[in-house]
Amino acid sequence: MTQAPAHKPRPSPRAALTIDTPHGPRPARTLAGAFIGGAKGRLLPASIPLRFFGAAVVYHLLAWLALAAGSAQWAGFGGGLGWPLAALHLVTLGVLGMAALGAGAQLLPVASRQGATGAGALATVWWLYTPSVACVALGMALARPPLLAAGAAAVALALLVWGLLTARNLLGARGMPGVVGHGWAALVALLLMLLAALGLVGIWLGLPAPPRHALLALHRLLAPYGFIGMLTLGLSYILLPMFMLADTAPERHQLTSLALASCALLLAALAAIGIAPRPLQLAAVLIGAGAVGLHLWLMARAARSGMRHLSGPSWLLLRLGWAGLLASLVLAFVWAMRWPLPRLGLWFSWSLIGVWQLSFLLGMLQRVAPFLAAMHGAPGRRARTPSALTHDGALRLHLACHCVGLALLALAIATESAWATLAAAAAGTLGALAFAGFYLALLARIRAPAEGSGDKARKQT
Amino acid sequence: MQQWQDEEGWHIDVRGLPPPQPLVHILRLVQQVGAAGVVIVHHDRDPQLLYPELAQIGWQAERIAAAPGELRLRLSPLP
Repeated sequence: MTQAPAHKPRPSPRAALTIDTPHGPRPARTLAGAFIGGAKGRLLPASIPLRFFGAAVVYHLLAWLALAAGSAQWAGFGGGLGWPLAALHLVTLGVLGMAALGAGAQLLPVASRQGATGAGALATVWWLYTPSVACVALGMALARPPLLAAGAAAVALALLVWGLLTARNLLGARGMPGVVGHGWAALVALLLMLLAALGLVGIWLGLPAPPRHALLALHRLLAPYGFIGMLTLGLSYILLPMFMLADTAPERHQLTSLALASCALLLAALAAIGIAPRPLQLAAVLIGAGAVGLHLWLMARAARSGMRHLSGPSWLLLRLGWAGLLASLVLAFVWAMRWPLPRLGLWFSWSLIGVWQLSFLLGMLQRVAPFLAAMHGAPGRRARTPSALTHDGALRLHLACHCVGLALLALAIATESAWATLAAAAAGTLGALAFAGFYLALLARIRAPAEGSGDKARKQT
Repeated sequence: MQQWQDEEGWHIDVRGLPPPQPLVHILRLVQQVGAAGVVIVHHDRDPQLLYPELAQIGWQAERIAAAPGELRLRLSPLP
């Protein structure tokens, strides 16, 4: 920061007066936090990200219900069609994928400093993707490969269209090479992951395809660590500093973490297709740990230096998510070393999907959704604050249920107990209902008049 | 990023900074200036991330005249 002398060009006298619009000049508004002329040009219509988030909220509930339906099989689950696989994909495609599509569509243009475009195409993606995820889950749950294949084809098409829209945005990016690089890595992983997924579906249909174990290994690697993982790590470099009001991590550090993570993914992918599996798996885990370690150090540094110290359910979920990420790497190391650990695959899925990605994403969603909604505050009325749009009680209940649900799932894995799985599903369902309550309250508060609604505007800085 | 003061208040020029750095620097200055101050922001784009944060702390934004290619905002506490 430089303190410039007073000979800097003086601002013009206050003109508070008019703003050029496509329809000619009009008076500027001077409302607290309200958007002023043209401010929304870089935002998608609120209905676009909010519909993705809304579908994620619904699929979150359905995922826990599917787990309840498959509770008798889950603790001994080792693959194959059925309710456990459906529950897993309701989380990955329905919750993680859905929220990632919505958040990425809105936030990557902000990071790349471009206008948000493609609202119509994104709406089409949503209409294609949302029922297709249900189709995939139902095909898995009922063990009907044709239904699964139809849904998977539509899901793949929707993700490809989204990928093309995102690639177009990234191609025109200005600045933030760290975030943009993570976006590109996520897109490459998405493409490869889809190929592997479609290959697996082909096997279910009895079509010729590469070996199942290789496709499955690639799918298990590239979906969580590649697509969702890279998108999560990249968007964290803009979202966390924004919420903490902290300086952005130096680009060289972001790019170093990206290079390490990409290298780890590449090595693990080579191992998955049978090239020197054990040494490459070990190298991938160690290099991946370096990438994650650097990323978490950057996040911790932002948390320490930020003007705002995060607290509450969202912050706890983010930290739980990071713990899950570390735990998944420890379990991957155990697997790479071929150390015997009963039900290692389930422990790995639990830490990776449940503890890391689901916790982290729900923690992020409960901050991003009110923030985006507040950004879309209607002109001519007093703007909502993110805190005024947030139902704290619902989020506290969700946090408690989410943690209890994950703990009971761990107990179910350890004891192979169907009852513990059912109890976990019950806790998770209650938590998902609470989260849905938070989201419905958010939607209701957006529509309600702000005046006299008890905005909790408060000094935080 | 530059920062200076004149009779209109504190000025901050955040042009060229990637998001969310403008937000962080502006809010840092708002915090330093306090409730009695005025902050003039010189920006090259509409700071979309800023408005919810301003609302949260009870400040308002008002667009004022600026040279072509610049967006200038006058930030002040709500009356």
